[in-house]
Amino acid sequence: MAATGEMKAPARRAVAPAIGGAPVTARAVLLVRVVVALAILAVWEGLSRSGLFYGEVIPSLTRIVASLGKLLVDPVFYKNLQVTALETFTSLAIGAALGVVTGIVLGANRFLMRAFEPYVYYLSPTPRIILFPVMIMWFGVGPASKVALGALSAYFAVALSTAAGMRQIDAILIRVGRSFRATGWQMATKIYLPAMRVPILNGIRLGMGTAIITVLLAETKLSNQGLGYMIMQVYTRFDMPGLYAILIVVFAIAGACNALIGKLAREQV
Amino acid sequence: MSAVIEDIRLQPAMVVDDVVKRFGRGDELVTAVDHVSFNVQQGEFVSVIGPSGCGKSTLFNIIGGLLGDYEGSVMIGDERISAPHPAVGMVFQEESTFPWRNVIENVAFPLELQGVPKSERMDRAHHFIDMVGLASFEKNFPSQLSGGMRQRVSIARTLVSQPKILLMDEPFAALDEQTRLLLGDKITQIQQELNQTTLLITHNLTEAVQLSDRIVVMTYRPGKVKRIVDIKLPRPRTSDVVGSDAFGHYVAEIWNDLREEATRGMADSESAAARRGSHG
Repeated sequence: MAATGEMKAPARRAVAPAIGGAPVTARAVLLVRVVVALAILAVWEGLSRSGLFYGEVIPSLTRIVASLGKLLVDPVFYKNLQVTALETFTSLAIGAALGVVTGIVLGANRFLMRAFEPYVYYLSPTPRIILFPVMIMWFGVGPASKVALGALSAYFAVALSTAAGMRQIDAILIRVGRSFRATGWQMATKIYLPAMRVPILNGIRLGMGTAIITVLLAETKLSNQGLGYMIMQVYTRFDMPGLYAILIVVFAIAGACNALIGKLAREQV
Repeated sequence: MSAVIEDIRLQPAMVVDDVVKRFGRGDELVTAVDHVSFNVQQGEFVSVIGPSGCGKSTLFNIIGGLLGDYEGSVMIGDERISAPHPAVGMVFQEESTFPWRNVIENVAFPLELQGVPKSERMDRAHHFIDMVGLASFEKNFPSQLSGGMRQRVSIARTLVSQPKILLMDEPFAALDEQTRLLLGDKITQIQQELNQTTLLITHNLTEAVQLSDRIVVMTYRPGKVKRIVDIKLPRPRTSDVVGSDAFGHYVAEIWNDLREEATRGMADSESAAARRGSHG
């Protein structure tokens, strides 16, 4: 009697209708994005050729592209990229691991949540960079101080998001697990974690964003390697096309990481 | 049919003996379940019926082992239930499928917990998915199914663990009447096929009469057993039974008992709503 007399219900998540008349099609959206990108490039090139700005402040697109090409074959760039990537990845791994644990503990325990909530909420928006001098004293000027600062910033995003996800778990799913006599480990791995996958991945995505920002920022302040350091090097040389080339690469990498984690979060929800 | 089973004098599948459950303390002490006793024979289908607030769900949680702290005893063989017991399989009223698992992975869940090898658990899950009529939906996710289909997934998931006693808490409460009747048919069919001992908690009178061998009628707060009614409708049974005179007779008879309780419950509902938490 498959589906006899039962209407196929709409999917649980309904898509909100678009505000405004025209239906939102993927093609129209793409078109607008391309047009905006082209417009920005055109304005840029226009300003560059207008001569209104001092010297190299707005270099022409061709010069930026040339710099970008040079950058992409420069072994120094890859060495610095590797340093920054490693610092970011390490800080994200440390921060996310601690954040997930903290989030689960706070989310599972009402008392601890109430006790620690103010610390987490009020500390989390504080700019981590002000702690950089402290980190340098504790961990030195090398990668360790950047990792520590990056981990700290990723930690809060992941912890808050995990705690929120924990409290949103449907209580019935936990009762189902108990009724089938799931062990504590089975509850954690087969119910809690999959049920919280989306908020945890969203937390990691936010955490990655702040970790990249913090690591790069720290590198620009005090270091002798990494992309942040490289940006300051080209800046002091006043190599504007080079500077923009590095920025483009950083944007591209950050965007790609973001898209990757976002894709993981959306899969099979 | 239950008369025949009683004659064989088998040990009952489950004995509920003088169960009492109170919530709160001091002036706010509420007795949800008050000295409730009944038993369920092997292969028998028993329903517990009563108005909202008669302690049905509390009883469900006690028998399921989710509420270990109570007075009296719920015995399965010589074991007193105080935690979820492998002999009892629960089906919940709420939407309870795992949204991140497809149908067959949902149904195989209890076997996965037991460490059954993958190919075997898929075979066994498939068998019960077929039984609830969802064979062509094995790879679908719950979000792609109707409410009635999702509830059938939950039932298959509980049956796959082959419980001695199937314990259901208003599994059709959220469904429309037609779906409910058809699902009732499915339940009857499965119960007869497996000779599945079943305890159904419900507030739906026609559903209880349609499915049961015996009905335990509860009073409104505090929840006591008002009467136990044998339903001597023929088996094997289908939803056609709903049209028979005997069916109408049972419904009228039990409604007679229930009306008073439901009326009290209704009058009380406003203050009950104001009361902290519902032990319904």
